[in-house]
Amino acid sequence: MSPEPILRLEGVSKHFGEFTALDNINLEIDEGEFLTIVGPSGSGKTTLIRILVGIEELSEGKIWLRNNRIEEMPANQRPTCMVFQSLALFPHKSVGENIEFPLKLRKQKPDQRKSRALELLDLLHLPQSFYDKRINECSGGERQRVALARALAFDPEILFFDEPLSALDFRLRKNLEKELKDLHQRTGKTFVYITHSLEEAMVMSDRIAIMRSGRFEQIAIADEIYARPVSRFVAEFMGEVNLFSVSGDAGGNPVGTEIEIQVRNTSLGSSMKLSKGASATLMVRPETVHFLTGDETADFVVGGVLKAEYALGSRTQYKVEADNGDELAVEKLREDRFLGQVGDRVRLGWNAEHAHMISGG
Amino acid sequence: MERQDQRIGLLSAVPMGAVLLISFLAPLMVIAIFSVMPQKVFSLLHLPDFSSYKLLFTQGYIKSVLWSFGMAMASTAILFVICWPLAFGMAKVFKGFGLFITIAVVITLFVSENIRLFGWVLTLMKGGLIEGHLRAWTGLTFEGALYNVPVIVFGLVYAYFPFMLFPLIQGIAMVPDDARQAAADLGASRRQIFFEVDLPLSAPGIVIGSLLSFVLAAGAMAESKLLGGQTVIVIADEIETAFTYGQNWPLGSALSVVLILIIGALSIFGINRVNLDLIMGGRRS
Amino acid sequence: MKMSKSARIALSLYGVLAILFLYLPIISVGFASVSKARYLTFPIKRYATKWYGKAVESSTVQDLLWTSLSVALLVTIISMVVGFFGALAFARYQWLFRGIFQKLILLPIFFPQAVLGLALLMWFNALGIIPTWKTAVVAHLVWISPIATLIIAIRAYSFDPSLEEAARDMGASTWIVMKEITGPLLWPGVVAAGLFAFLLSWGNFPLSLFTTGADSTLPEWLYAKMVSGYSPLVPSVGILSIVTSIVLLLAGGIIMWLVRSHNGTASPR
Repeated sequence: MSPEPILRLEGVSKHFGEFTALDNINLEIDEGEFLTIVGPSGSGKTTLIRILVGIEELSEGKIWLRNNRIEEMPANQRPTCMVFQSLALFPHKSVGENIEFPLKLRKQKPDQRKSRALELLDLLHLPQSFYDKRINECSGGERQRVALARALAFDPEILFFDEPLSALDFRLRKNLEKELKDLHQRTGKTFVYITHSLEEAMVMSDRIAIMRSGRFEQIAIADEIYARPVSRFVAEFMGEVNLFSVSGDAGGNPVGTEIEIQVRNTSLGSSMKLSKGASATLMVRPETVHFLTGDETADFVVGGVLKAEYALGSRTQYKVEADNGDELAVEKLREDRFLGQVGDRVRLGWNAEHAHMISGG
Repeated sequence: MERQDQRIGLLSAVPMGAVLLISFLAPLMVIAIFSVMPQKVFSLLHLPDFSSYKLLFTQGYIKSVLWSFGMAMASTAILFVICWPLAFGMAKVFKGFGLFITIAVVITLFVSENIRLFGWVLTLMKGGLIEGHLRAWTGLTFEGALYNVPVIVFGLVYAYFPFMLFPLIQGIAMVPDDARQAAADLGASRRQIFFEVDLPLSAPGIVIGSLLSFVLAAGAMAESKLLGGQTVIVIADEIETAFTYGQNWPLGSALSVVLILIIGALSIFGINRVNLDLIMGGRRS
Repeated sequence: MKMSKSARIALSLYGVLAILFLYLPIISVGFASVSKARYLTFPIKRYATKWYGKAVESSTVQDLLWTSLSVALLVTIISMVVGFFGALAFARYQWLFRGIFQKLILLPIFFPQAVLGLALLMWFNALGIIPTWKTAVVAHLVWISPIATLIIAIRAYSFDPSLEEAARDMGASTWIVMKEITGPLLWPGVVAAGLFAFLLSWGNFPLSLFTTGADSTLPEWLYAKMVSGYSPLVPSVGILSIVTSIVLLLAGGIIMWLVRSHNGTASPR
């Protein structure tokens, strides 16, 4: 089922003097997939993509493109291409000349180049009249499309993106994210995208790789990352989350070490069990936590005081202060909102199927 | 890319490096060697005897050095005071007018310095533009304004005006407007804003501007010759005399070495204190 | 900071005054050049253009013009080439000795030019080269090519290195990157630097003084005449030299403007 990887990294490291930007990276990218590498700034993602494109050199490791080693190959000989963060459109060339640049380098005939450029303008929903426009006459969104068209004109084996959407305003970015996903499906090319926004990654990608301090923390499909993060770091990276430090008691049940958690032992499955004394982190997303009323109960229950309520549009978020002073987050759809008052004593509960145990402290 | 950058960077520096090596560093070496040769020799094939340096201290050359540096200091101080308001206007206040002044000042740079100084002679001499017209219109007369020390300083101020002005503009442009506004908002007076905000933040421009005008004025000769007559002999003049009328190359070289050492030390000190990437490209690196 | 209107006007007046200060001597020379009398005194009683006629006819002046022009043209061409690459090393590429290179370039600009001229004279002497106008070219280059480098470097700073990376990524060789991307983007800076180089060389006198040997440039000749006593030819030749500069500056300005409007106005940031 799994196709032959188009790109394979083995033990890739990069040092800048004393500093290790990439630490022994291994990765396989499948033909035709949309992989997004996500990480905070300084995590090494930009260094990684620049090494994959060939702009920067690696310190150690091997890279295969299909069956060829390419880590020693300079950027201008690799059959891959990148859309830069700044887009790197040539300001002294017209839109058409920009798109045709890679074709010109391959010594294609002018009329052939032009017809390909016009095709690409069509593919990216830009009017053909843009062919003669200057770059400084294009808006931010139009420049994105021109940069994409130029990269596609190159016809790369893999198309890399270095957060090209980061400079755009919110709405335009959302539209382009969807268009990019659509373009990926239509062209069938392998896309490798880097960004610091996991949200952006979720919208577009088949697989997401989370990077931290020069290593991959987790590589998985979006849903997996959201529901079953392997570490606190990954869990916190994707928005609001409640994390509890727990350790196993004699019966194998998790006991809160900082916040007191009541556990309904009988119903816990094996995934929620902990060997005696082992510490772990229990994660639950705010939207799966309920306010319990009357004698209602759940697999896990925590008591606290409602501190604040924030309207987020379609949803409402609540801050609840647990007895030890830590804050918990709960989110409800607007129509299911909690009818209590700030200052009320509340009981929060959630069930095991919505909880996730992250091993290790 | 780093390896690529290293290689292309080094290659790109080769032509400029060759120019500097052949026509800057090599001549300085020759001067240095000549300065230790015996008196009045014209080749480097002699045993060094350092006699020129002994001469330096006995022959009153120190006075020329002091005159040169004293006048350079005076003209630099005056330049700073008169250029600051204009530089401030050009960096922060004027718009189109600022560009006009820039172009007007740059054009004067392309007019040979001696023509402009000669123009001052015509303007200030007895029977010149000022005295002549004054006499014709009012009957009053005076002995012209030439041939004294203040007029030499005036000439230095005139000649190196652009060299103070442009770095100051660049420096003041680096002072963010909101820093000045914030200071005013916090209750700083005009004077306090100047000392607490403008001065420290425009320091790189001030350093470069003062250094340029000081160093160029210290090595200048045309001002004292054309405007000052024989009132004072500046160090550059002494050097020229030693080489030409004096036919004493080692002495001229020794004098040059002294001037070069002082100026070189000052320049390197000043250049080292500013971030060139920042002042030229507005980029911290 | 909001500036009061009167402060603004005072500042503008100050600017006008500064320009007058800078141009007053040139105006004096201008008046002197059209005075009929052999010995100049102000106010000028009778005006005449005969000294211009004499200047233009004089074979000495023609020779001077020719020498100055040869020196300036050669200096311009070499400075543009040296400055183009120098600016890349100065501003664009991160290489090992970049910091030292940047500082070394500035040193000649800070140097007393007359002393530099003398040093060069002795260096030529040590090498056994007899100074002519060609050695003056070398002398001018020491001072002018660093300035050309700085002018082009300002342009080089303003361009995004990812433009070159993108071109490489799409398969361009080092040479193609230079030709298609770096060259065209730096071109306006190179033209400006060329213009500066010509004008600075044309007007330079302290560097020429000791390095032209038996040849003489226009400013050198003027200086010799000024020091040795008044000649009615001095103002007219001086004005001719200034007019040449201004004509060139205008021509250069027009070329720059054409280049810019052709390339689009946006600076590639």
